[in-house]
Amino acid sequence: MATRAATEISSSVPPLSAERQVTWPKRTKARLANGLEVVLAESHTVPKFHGELFLRSGNAASIQRGPGLAEMTATVLRTGTAKRPSRQIEEDLRRLGADLSSHAGADNSAVAFAGLSELAEPLLQLVNELAREAAFPEPEFERERRQKLEEVKLDRTQPGFLASERLRKVLFGSHPYAQVAPTEQQVASYKRDDLLSIYRDFYTPQNALLLMVGDFDSASMLETVEKVFGGWSGNKPAISLSPEPGKPRGRRVHLVHVPGAVQTQILAGCHAITRKHPDWIKLGLTNSLYGGAFNSRLVMNIREDKGYTYSPRSSVNPLREYGYFSVSAAVRNDVVAASLTEIFYELDKLRALPVPEAELADARNYVSGVFSLGLATQDGLLSQLATVALNDLPDDYLETYREKVRALTPPDLLATARKYFDSANMQIVVVGDRTQIEPQAALFGDLEVYDAHGKHLS
Amino acid sequence: MNIPIETTTLSNGLKVVVAPDITAPVVTVGVYYKIGFRLEPQGRSGFAHLFEHMMFQGSAHAPKMQHIKLINSSGGTLNGSTHYDVTNYFESVPSNALERVLWLEGDRMRALKVDDENLRNQRDVVKEEVRVNVLNQPYGGFPWLDLPPVAFRNWANAHNFYGDFADLDAASLADVQSFFKTYYAPNNAVLLILGDVKPDEGLALAKKYFGDIPAGAPPPFADPREPEQTEERRGEVEEKFGTLPAMAIGYTVPPRRTSEWYAMTLLDQALHGGRAGRMYRHLVLEKQVAVEVDGGIDDVFGYNGPTQMVTKILHKPEYSSDATLAEFDSVIREVQQNGISQDELDQLKVKFRSDYYSTLEGGRGGMPRYGLMHLLACFSLFDNEPQLVNSILDGFLTVRREDIQAVAKKYLRNDKRAIVFRRPPNTSAPSHVGAKEAA
Repeated sequence: MATRAATEISSSVPPLSAERQVTWPKRTKARLANGLEVVLAESHTVPKFHGELFLRSGNAASIQRGPGLAEMTATVLRTGTAKRPSRQIEEDLRRLGADLSSHAGADNSAVAFAGLSELAEPLLQLVNELAREAAFPEPEFERERRQKLEEVKLDRTQPGFLASERLRKVLFGSHPYAQVAPTEQQVASYKRDDLLSIYRDFYTPQNALLLMVGDFDSASMLETVEKVFGGWSGNKPAISLSPEPGKPRGRRVHLVHVPGAVQTQILAGCHAITRKHPDWIKLGLTNSLYGGAFNSRLVMNIREDKGYTYSPRSSVNPLREYGYFSVSAAVRNDVVAASLTEIFYELDKLRALPVPEAELADARNYVSGVFSLGLATQDGLLSQLATVALNDLPDDYLETYREKVRALTPPDLLATARKYFDSANMQIVVVGDRTQIEPQAALFGDLEVYDAHGKHLS
Repeated sequence: MNIPIETTTLSNGLKVVVAPDITAPVVTVGVYYKIGFRLEPQGRSGFAHLFEHMMFQGSAHAPKMQHIKLINSSGGTLNGSTHYDVTNYFESVPSNALERVLWLEGDRMRALKVDDENLRNQRDVVKEEVRVNVLNQPYGGFPWLDLPPVAFRNWANAHNFYGDFADLDAASLADVQSFFKTYYAPNNAVLLILGDVKPDEGLALAKKYFGDIPAGAPPPFADPREPEQTEERRGEVEEKFGTLPAMAIGYTVPPRRTSEWYAMTLLDQALHGGRAGRMYRHLVLEKQVAVEVDGGIDDVFGYNGPTQMVTKILHKPEYSSDATLAEFDSVIREVQQNGISQDELDQLKVKFRSDYYSTLEGGRGGMPRYGLMHLLACFSLFDNEPQLVNSILDGFLTVRREDIQAVAKKYLRNDKRAIVFRRPPNTSAPSHVGAKEAA
């Protein structure tokens, strides 16, 4: 024992003192005459603000026109408007002390921005221009398309990408959620007209939600928002119905072969639920106990006890229509089978035995405590508010979340684990060198092997 | 700027900084030790980082996992990280757990209690960390591990900071204990308490939980200075997984807090400030030679020895390394010959100020005030002047155009730089015949 103690201090853990009330800031909600939904919240931590303009359509809604087209539209969006060429947009952002990014996920497209409070209005004007008057200049489109081609090639060299791509394919089959990125051929066939049609359909006030958090006065900010965005018009896009994903039955192993890999990326998952589901909070807590926190069973087992991996974790992944549960770990090649054994052992243990009350109390405190850390920063609060608004959760969701977590009991968690930790039907993806790991992986179910481009190898 | 700060130094030499802000009922606590991977012992590459892991393995009254369990079960998050010149440990918790966090940090500053089994376990964990971040990733360790051995001659600056596996294997419990005794003394550390705490309460609690930890001997520090560089240095690293050839160019920057350093930092922003930056604009948007360009001076307030401004480029395979480097050089030449306009300088200053506010507010994994904590810690340990958080911005806002052109000429010279090429095996060497030249 390395010690420099001359005297002893108290050897017992100080108790928690009385809790200070967590007060979520007041939200100002409005809907402009053109349909734009607006949510504002004040947070005066620094003289800045964060905002995000969401469009409630993303790559899933654009998949018929081409995989990844909503993302490509968001990428090219910032490269020119009717009034400003690309270079001016970037310099104006810098002049305003602002950051801006535009992206599309499966369910939404978004323009995210942050800037100085004193320069809020001109930044909103630029965001408004991007939403209404993006020009998609041909040369910029062509450059971004060629850039994207290199990026999709690069993605296929990353174990984490390959694992999640394969898992989504396996879980979602013919549903648009199955495709997380376009192929090179699909990018090669993108047309500027495709982007224009997506822009026309998705980027409308009736499809939009504007969220802002920061150092401003909500009443006057709302006036500014009305002034800047009031003239925008457009209807909700038609909703295209997607086929229901078939839920894979039976535990199967999907090996993505990366020759020369010196480690194996494990990612296993099964269907679960969306945020709107009444069991969502229960599943979140159960996940936290399993592998969602440092002090969780999985991390204790395969990291702190056995040293198989650096960063094991489990998560619940809510997309708008469907959600899934997953567990991941990058492990030493010679302990792939050993790691999977522990991953399933801990899952099955939560399905078999009630969680001890003391352990559950710790997990409840963790989940409710870190939830309120989100209150302390502008972007933390923005992401909490986005979760509520994009999932149409009740207005008091933030205020009541902690008490709902604190009410959960061991029988609740046992029932939740039995319902959603579907270990018999988990789909196991392993990304690594087949010559080193195939016999280990095959112990866990029928095995199929693919290369990094998705080609079936055996 | 006027961020309220209370500071004191305890009789054992521990610096204490309290930055109260009652906006939300959460508090962030940090303990920074003035030792990072730059000055870890020779023959023990990677040790400072391995040691950081050991700090979570148990202390006198909080055996293995107790620390993590107590923070998580108080509703908080925690982590640690190893930097060039400091190693930090930090927690964000609801403010009713403040005393508990201080007790835990005090306990492990007082007495680390770990055994061989803990060391074996964390050595395995660290090796998987190196594999997941470096050895099994495209461009893993590029360029932060690739460039130092090419750029520097002093072992302190040039060695493998994550650690050669043989060195990690050689590390013993005796090394752990001696490193703890030497560098993890209160007189080599600063304690920071930020958020929902009253200043006098924070100072009193610091004294209660840290005040009687005995001081250590002043730790010995190796001299990290570099011999004068007089020639361009180049190196090559094979890229095992990635599809694109890459290069990184590093120029050593002026000593921190000199007037040249302020100018260099803004010049860095002119070159690397996102899509408006000159490098991205020229190489990606205009010449379309590169797919990705970024870089800059990493953690500009957080180092205390030789460091570089680094440009990272992933370029299209149809352009040779020479052609790509020629385009890079043209950007450097342009700023040396013509400087930057007043309009550009004004933009850079507004953006720098805005970024500075964001740094103070957040900065790491949503942990409130991580950035403010980091700056206060570095200004305390390197400068003995935590109040710099309120004044350092002025140094950047008074930089003039001619200062920027002057540092461009003086520091961005070929004989002062290092270049690392990272190439997939099937792509061209620098002077590949027939490769496309940038238009």
